[in-house]
Amino acid sequence: MIRYLCFPAFLLIWEFLSRFKLINPIFFPPFTTIVTTVVDMISSGELWLHLKISLARALSGLFIASLAGVPLGILLGGYAKKLELLLELPLEVLSQLNPFLLFHIIILFMGIGEPPKVTIVAWTCLWPITFSTMTGVSQVNPSLIKSGRAFGLRGLSLITKIVLPASAAQIFAGLRLGLGYSMFMLIAAEMMGASSGLGWLVLNSQENFQLNNMYAGVLVIALAGLVLDGLVWLPLKLWPQLAPREAVNTAGD
Amino acid sequence: MIEQHSTKGELAATPIEAQNLLSGPAVPPSKQQPEPLLRQFMGWYGIIGFLIIWQLAPMLGLCDPLFIPPPTTIGADALSLVSRGDLFIHAATSAQRALLGLVAALAVAIPLAIFLSGWLPRFTRFINPLLSLLASINPFALFPLFILLFGVGELAKFAIIFWSSLFPVLTATINGVGGVNPLLVKTAKSMGASRATIFRKVVIPASLPSLLVGLRMGATTAFLFLIAAEMLAANAGLGWLVHNSAMNNYIPRIYVGVVTIALMGLLLSFLIDRLEAVVLGYKEEVKTN
Repeated sequence: MIRYLCFPAFLLIWEFLSRFKLINPIFFPPFTTIVTTVVDMISSGELWLHLKISLARALSGLFIASLAGVPLGILLGGYAKKLELLLELPLEVLSQLNPFLLFHIIILFMGIGEPPKVTIVAWTCLWPITFSTMTGVSQVNPSLIKSGRAFGLRGLSLITKIVLPASAAQIFAGLRLGLGYSMFMLIAAEMMGASSGLGWLVLNSQENFQLNNMYAGVLVIALAGLVLDGLVWLPLKLWPQLAPREAVNTAGD
Repeated sequence: MIEQHSTKGELAATPIEAQNLLSGPAVPPSKQQPEPLLRQFMGWYGIIGFLIIWQLAPMLGLCDPLFIPPPTTIGADALSLVSRGDLFIHAATSAQRALLGLVAALAVAIPLAIFLSGWLPRFTRFINPLLSLLASINPFALFPLFILLFGVGELAKFAIIFWSSLFPVLTATINGVGGVNPLLVKTAKSMGASRATIFRKVVIPASLPSLLVGLRMGATTAFLFLIAAEMLAANAGLGWLVHNSAMNNYIPRIYVGVVTIALMGLLLSFLIDRLEAVVLGYKEEVKTN
């Protein structure tokens, strides 16, 4: 528990430095001022509005990515060996493409409304989900599959009874990475062209020199990321088999 | 957040056996494992096939050649840029920015992390949650702050790249130095090694793998944020080239920029691979399956 004392310590130092003008309080307002701003923005409903829009964009992008990525990963990781060999290199190149640059190309096709933002989030989340699923499915213990076949499982029933449960931990790890990525890219997309959402709120506050609002936005983005990652706790509690297997310490060997 | 790319390493170690069990009736073992050479060629066939489809689709009118120009058009534009020397200027500007930020981040993070976890392990455990919080703050959310503090010149771009690649390196090095097997340290100590010797002969070699992971993650991050920073405000660099071409609706040049940056990223990752092979040559690959 004592290790979390560093947060209050950090905030106290910040508050102190700013209150006593040891750092410029215009650029670094005291933490309590930022909290007051957040509370003001909550009570005026402004914050909730932007948070709702941002979360909807991020989660729908993640949802689309998992709808595409998990089946693709199962197909490439377990069923189409030749196809995997053929597509591995192109997919790797595609996954390395810089998402900020792709954003310009996506805008060409989709205009500047909601679709390009959801698309860029989905594109970024697609790769961790696909690659983790591929790894998970290809590492399923062969004797499990042999037993399944021996008991007469075929096709879809083999996937749902054997392959998915056995690779659930890896798929879940991919989804978790995707969740982190979704918020990350979303903020970038909202800064590059939007008129609502948390990323826009931060950029717009900076352009209008409302630094308290800007810091409030940064704080809310950080908290939203932490809360989203914390929510992962719930499925882990309900289905313990989703927990990552024993982590390998590569440093100590 | 850039950790996703580490999954690729695991992909290489795909157990082929399991896949064939799924994909159908048993095949004689001699045919199960394709030659490594074929494996490589298959990947290249994939790339070539992709390029052919890309070339044919606009030519046959399956998609609008204005929005998806065929690779030959893009190549022609790239050639004209190269012959005027423009592409080289932009690529060199971008590479310089990315490397400067990355090298500065390495120069700060590695000594700091070694100092923190080697000399102040209790303090490091104390501030570790704070470091991971700072690392998880979206650097984009901090962009406006960097612009306020450093203006829109080179300094702001440097600060953005430095900040965003600092944390992956710092975290990986702290984990590496903190995770050195105590048995190794104790063994060296019992043989009478001094503190400096232990550091040089045990701690550094044992934490090299994590250091390299940090280097790779830092390099990826530096490239990612370089482009973002150049789009905010610049008058040269590949990010600016793409942004400017998009604003002027000169579409083939967008693709030239995208491909050049991808190639630079691949080159960097290849160089780090080579470095890894040289530095970690003593480590034999362990087959787990």
